[in-house]
Amino acid sequence: MRIRSLLTFITAGVIGLAASSAYADLLADIKSKGEIVVGVLGTDEPNSFVDPKTREFIGYEVDIATAIADKLGVKPVFKQLAVAARIPEIQQGRVDLLAASLTHNKERESQVDFSLTTFVTGQKVLVKKDGGIENVADLTGKKVLTVKGGTQEPNIRKAVPNVDVVTFETTQQAFLALQQGKGVGYVNDEASLLNDHAKLGDAKKNYRILPQNISVEPLALGIKKGEASLKAAVDGVLRELEASGEAEKIFFKWYGPDTRLQFQSRDFKIDSDKIEG
Amino acid sequence: MLPNRAARQSCMPDFDPALVLAGPYHDLLVSGLKLSLQLLAITFVLSLPLATIVALLRLSPLRALRWFGCAYVESIRNVPLLAHMLFWYFGAPELYPESVKHWLYAMNIEAISAVIALTLYTSAFMSEDIRSGIRAVPAVQFEAGRAMGFGFLATMRLVILPQATRVTVPPLISQTLNLWKGTSIATVIGVSELMYQAAQVESASFRSFEAFVFATLAYLSVSLLITGAASWYQHRYPVRPT
Amino acid sequence: MIELIDTYWLFFLVGQYPNGPLGGLSLTLILASLGLVLALPLGLLLGIARVSPFAALRWPVTAVIFVVRGTPLLMVVFWAYFSLPVLTGHKTDQFTTMLVALVVFDAVYLAEIVRAGIKSLPAGQMECARSLGLSWLGAMRLVVLPQALRHMLPSLVNQFVSTIKETSLGYIIGLTEVSFIAAQINTQVFTMPMQVYLILGLTYFTLCFGLSRFAYWLDRRFNRGASIRVAA
Repeated sequence: MRIRSLLTFITAGVIGLAASSAYADLLADIKSKGEIVVGVLGTDEPNSFVDPKTREFIGYEVDIATAIADKLGVKPVFKQLAVAARIPEIQQGRVDLLAASLTHNKERESQVDFSLTTFVTGQKVLVKKDGGIENVADLTGKKVLTVKGGTQEPNIRKAVPNVDVVTFETTQQAFLALQQGKGVGYVNDEASLLNDHAKLGDAKKNYRILPQNISVEPLALGIKKGEASLKAAVDGVLRELEASGEAEKIFFKWYGPDTRLQFQSRDFKIDSDKIEG
Repeated sequence: MLPNRAARQSCMPDFDPALVLAGPYHDLLVSGLKLSLQLLAITFVLSLPLATIVALLRLSPLRALRWFGCAYVESIRNVPLLAHMLFWYFGAPELYPESVKHWLYAMNIEAISAVIALTLYTSAFMSEDIRSGIRAVPAVQFEAGRAMGFGFLATMRLVILPQATRVTVPPLISQTLNLWKGTSIATVIGVSELMYQAAQVESASFRSFEAFVFATLAYLSVSLLITGAASWYQHRYPVRPT
Repeated sequence: MIELIDTYWLFFLVGQYPNGPLGGLSLTLILASLGLVLALPLGLLLGIARVSPFAALRWPVTAVIFVVRGTPLLMVVFWAYFSLPVLTGHKTDQFTTMLVALVVFDAVYLAEIVRAGIKSLPAGQMECARSLGLSWLGAMRLVVLPQALRHMLPSLVNQFVSTIKETSLGYIIGLTEVSFIAAQINTQVFTMPMQVYLILGLTYFTLCFGLSRFAYWLDRRFNRGASIRVAA
């Protein structure tokens, strides 16, 4: 009996995930609760990571999400997610907003809605200099490491059809595996790769980032499909942040010349939710 | 129950078993199942002799050997398999000399680390079953063997182990079932076994339900075979009253 | 190594608390305790159903037990993750997901411990109670269970050890229990994977070894040799 009703429920629900929204409007719900649950990766410096001193989440995406929560007049509550769990979490309504290095692409548009693009980065490959890999094509037949459930894996497979890909729960485990020599390359968003590369300290000189982009990734905040008023509110705040210069300030705080990433300029604006198809 | 049935019917077109019964997703899942079965077979073959050795250490007349056997079992049994996997994949290779590292990394290091972790873990549990099996044989049997002039190992091999087998096999099969389920944890260190491939299919197709149904049924079928083997053995070779 | 412990010990023990959700070792312990405590009544019911004379009860329960035992816990966790929001109509967090999966998984193992505990009593106990005019359930409650439960105590402590180890799977669904925190520390420190995982292993060992010695002591004290062995 238990198992049968369980199965019925599962068949009824899991497949039709979208069917079960108990409330009329997520934005109204967030405002009445007084808090917005934001899904972050927490292992993705400088976008979201744990400050060892305060043990709180900090980073570029954390600041953007906090700014949005402030403007909406609610408290941000951060929830750490695995890369692969991001889309199921937003679909099932376990988080209200995703600020988790989420790539905006056509395939995902049927699953989630995206805010204005909040960051643009290429995806590249970090290799050891003595590995004999000079360009992306050299990766044919070689073992490449990356994170599970992101766009990195499909993109590298598209760029190098015969590559052997091994994936992990977090980008940092893939990076660790590269360091230990368990593969010849590590694929990630360029912004994160630069940070990882800088993190190596003295060993930095033994590694290099292949110049070729395997793709260009517009990153955006993820919103549950069909929550038009929340999307309008989030986009509104993002436009305000851009207009007031606040968005640029946050960018330079985490990526600017004083950080180990040392970006001199910001070559995107938060002004569109359209992507090239 | 009725409203649910209505909901289920309205969702029914969504459930598409064909997705995992043929095509690229099917191939992924089947390759995962194959690798899981390989992990099971290799670990089983390695664990059994190792477990026997540890069981004998624990029963040996030498105190130091007994202590060593005990330390092996306790230190492994009391740490989760997941931590073993993480340790053998991410932690332990730091200790190996460069040449060993290169040699290992040229192979499927993910699967090798998983086999090491699974073998150590499984053999610690199996050795306890073997030990209790041996202890179930009355002490006079051992004494009789020694009295006839056999050494410790010869008595074990010729007198005790054959009798202990009947008592030991059913719990060993049950450990094999645990081993089979344990192979799923190898997904955390990037071994492309069944669980890993189910997650792959899920993130590529957004069809978690089909992928998980396939994986669950595959795990259950193999478990059914293993449990079936246990009942067959108990029926065919019952423990003889002593 | 000292610096590692010095920087991260609090994170390891309590996660982000009080600046965020409770995590780390405390979460592992809370999860394991709650899991076992909630699984107990369910396991008792399933175990009694397993030995009951009513086939209509015995067979479906046996089937459920078989299905859960034949499925990896990780799979049970995934099913809980996807089906709970539908079953309850609430957004369930990682903690509840893991807790429900643990309760279901543990209850099934406890059912086998209960069954073995009941079976270990001489059949005469049940027969005498029935001949005194007690119903089957009455005899179970008043005569059989009180004796069987005492025999089961060591097995229960061992089950607690298993539960602690099982909570480590929360790592995979992003629950911030101690293994997850260790992995996170590892990614942040980056240069000491060996030390981080060794500390994680030692932590589990200290906890579980202590408890299994306690189980052994209980076993010696209460059962004097006539203990129940259930393959874990």
